[in-house]
Amino acid sequence: MTLRVDGVSARLGGREVLSDVHCTLAPGWTAVVGPNGAGKSTLLRVLAGLLPASAGAVQLEGWPLLQWPARERARRIAWLAQQADVSGDLTVRETVQLGRLPQLGLLAAPGAADAAAVHAAMQITECGPWQHRRLHELSGGERQRVLLARALATEAPVLLLDEPTTHLDAPHQVALARLFRRLAASHTVVTVLHDLPLALHADRLLLLVDGRKRAEGAFDDDTLHAALTAAFGGAIRIVWQRGRPMALPDLGLDP
Amino acid sequence: MKRGWLGCSLLLAWLALLAVPAWAELTLRDDRGVTLHFDRPPQRIVSLLPSLTEAVCALDACSRLVGVDRYSDWPARVLKLPRLGGLDDVQIERTLALKPDLVLMSSSERVSERLQALGLKVMVLDSQTHADVQRTLVLLARMLGEPAKGELLWVAIQQQIGSAAARVPARLRGRKVYYEVDPTPFAASEDSFIGQTLKRLGMGNAVPAAMGSFPALNPEYVVRAQPDIIMSGRAELATMAARPGWSGLRALRQHQTCGFDTAASYLLVRPGPRLGEAAMLLADCLAALPPLR
Amino acid sequence: MNAELVDSRRRRRLVTGMLLAALLLSALGLMVGSEHLGWADLGRADAQLIIGRIRAPRTLGAFGVGALFGLAGAIAQGLFRNPLADPYLLGSAAGASLAVVLVLAGGALLGRHVGSVNLAWLRQLGLVTAAFGGALGGVLLTLVLARGAQQTLRLLLAGVVVGVVLGACGDLLTTWSPAALRGRQTFMLGSTAFLDWAGVGWLFGGLLLALPFSGRLARALDALSLGEDSASSLGLNLPRLRLLLVLLLALCTGLAVSQAGLVAFVGLVSPHLVRRFAPSAHGFTLPASAVAGGVLMLAADVLARGLIAPQELPVGVLTAVLGGGYLLWLLHRRGAMR
Repeated sequence: MTLRVDGVSARLGGREVLSDVHCTLAPGWTAVVGPNGAGKSTLLRVLAGLLPASAGAVQLEGWPLLQWPARERARRIAWLAQQADVSGDLTVRETVQLGRLPQLGLLAAPGAADAAAVHAAMQITECGPWQHRRLHELSGGERQRVLLARALATEAPVLLLDEPTTHLDAPHQVALARLFRRLAASHTVVTVLHDLPLALHADRLLLLVDGRKRAEGAFDDDTLHAALTAAFGGAIRIVWQRGRPMALPDLGLDP
Repeated sequence: MKRGWLGCSLLLAWLALLAVPAWAELTLRDDRGVTLHFDRPPQRIVSLLPSLTEAVCALDACSRLVGVDRYSDWPARVLKLPRLGGLDDVQIERTLALKPDLVLMSSSERVSERLQALGLKVMVLDSQTHADVQRTLVLLARMLGEPAKGELLWVAIQQQIGSAAARVPARLRGRKVYYEVDPTPFAASEDSFIGQTLKRLGMGNAVPAAMGSFPALNPEYVVRAQPDIIMSGRAELATMAARPGWSGLRALRQHQTCGFDTAASYLLVRPGPRLGEAAMLLADCLAALPPLR
Repeated sequence: MNAELVDSRRRRRLVTGMLLAALLLSALGLMVGSEHLGWADLGRADAQLIIGRIRAPRTLGAFGVGALFGLAGAIAQGLFRNPLADPYLLGSAAGASLAVVLVLAGGALLGRHVGSVNLAWLRQLGLVTAAFGGALGGVLLTLVLARGAQQTLRLLLAGVVVGVVLGACGDLLTTWSPAALRGRQTFMLGSTAFLDWAGVGWLFGGLLLALPFSGRLARALDALSLGEDSASSLGLNLPRLRLLLVLLLALCTGLAVSQAGLVAFVGLVSPHLVRRFAPSAHGFTLPASAVAGGVLMLAADVLARGLIAPQELPVGVLTAVLGGGYLLWLLHRRGAMR
């Protein structure tokens, strides 16, 4: 499932946060990176249909995104928020089950397929052991995994994940990166990532600076690497190790 | 002249009494316009308004009262009756248990509806003016089976008011009175029964009829109106000068004030059979006012 | 697995407890009143009248009123994602209060014309209809002011504005008409004393409509608890859902308020009670809050009648004491746990 972004601009609170962004998000794992305030989350919101573009259009499978009925859109695109804005007393299982809303609607009772999807999502994110605990009892990282499970439970072919690894420890970050790689085979995974080293494990990177697309390319593209280094003001250095590019923080300490 | 008029009325009333046949069925309309049908005079009456309690007792039917509201306190014998709450929070159950054949009250839609729905006969009487009081007394008298007594009572009240008027010193005639019912301030205008009594006593009113019977005033208004005499509860009067701007009122400075204690205040605000007594209270106070220097 | 069992056992215990309390309180409700009636008295017609036409509808009606408030409170707290939300937030209280004042003042202004408008017809409306219409009117005004249910914050602000403005209009009218002032005071305190069988019919009819309808929206409220954007991304049409929820809220509140006046705290506290003993998704919390509200109101009504019998306390005072006391205790426990 492909998302095409044609000259999209977006405004938030009167300010233009995205300007004239063109890109195509095809099946695979695309990491959206850039300095703070570059408009990465906003781009994801526009892609999810949560924020209308002030100019340009987003097309899903050839149709304008906002012309899709909301439920059809929700079946194809799953979005994960950057900040968990959770209230109430839902258990982990009930939360993940909400991911089946696009399929079930408000009234239908969950069936075997739904139970399977929920179970799979919880297994992948390793939430199974606490499925009956309440969301607000969990730590930030655990909660993040549950919300990711919720997004996975929708079984949507497009996953838009805004900073899915922020609160996670290294093992879990790695586990997620592996998951994204696996999913990339059949899904369109778009993640906003602050963590450049992690982002370089994606298939493609999209670099946004000040609301504009600065660069785009495969993870091993040199032009992309140059643009990244420039965009981050020399704070990172990209080196090659074991045949893969790695981003290292550069404190300017030279022997 | 006045004696002659009084004598005529008494004669007419007595004739009316003779002319009335033995008690027959009666159909009356209350102040809502609702028609009430009586086979015989009611024997068990509940009254939910002090002035109506007083009216029933003044018409010599006090023994027929089986329940009153919590504010009824005259005559003293009603204090022994079951007290059924205020007007809006009447105890429905208790009222019903007393098995009255008539409930007297002033307007309170929800209460009257509920009581009627439970099978009680309800008569709503609202008195704002002297004419209302007269009408109420006459109606109640007819209902109680003693039609003449109503007019007689009214005549007696008028006589009392007349004597009260005679007691008011001539120098005070026409002076503007400000009667404060409540420190909000709510005042009694010309139109209210208090205002009408004052008028009979030959006094003027600082609050014209156009403002309603008991208008809530802007305190500014009173300051501008500069009433000649101020009447109020004793406690309120004591602190009146402290109100912003009111220290300038010449009535306060010259001690042209009437302060009534609680019992007297209650008496004065009831549009019932003690209107005459109320007039006397007012006249006594006026007579006792110090002369202006 | 254990946690799941604990949860469902808690839910069962809560429901059983509440139903038992309801039964017990209902029985008490038939026995408590200003008249002391013993078993022997039951044969008498007047005792039957008192029990059958005053105490019974009043007891049932109190439960119905409380249930509607409880349900409305749970909806409000889910919709606004705020545990301090209550059913009166969107102008329903101010609207109902103003309508009551209009009818009362209309009666007093009878014969006079305000401008060129004769207000006599207002008197025909009746207080119950007026309160209901006013509550709905207040909420509709809020919706208009907020230009639909597009944004929650706007809705809340509009609700505050409507509440203040309509309240001020009511205040203005009461300065012209002392009778209206008195009636308004009574209305604002709340009273179960006038509940009759017709009222019980309306209340339970409303409940029978509102409960299933709210059940269908339970999942939406759950989704909302994930955050508005997340709920939206799950395919929910938020503005339409919010509108439906607001209308449901208005209907429940309007019905309850029209029969019993502005009873305090029941809507606010009932969902808290349920959450305290059996936190769950909205599919359980909504109907459970209704039952909790019913029980709370029943208790308040029975106490109102029984504490200083044969005198009566205003039921609003008791709900404030019971409900407010519970909230205070909650706060205290929270503080102690820190």
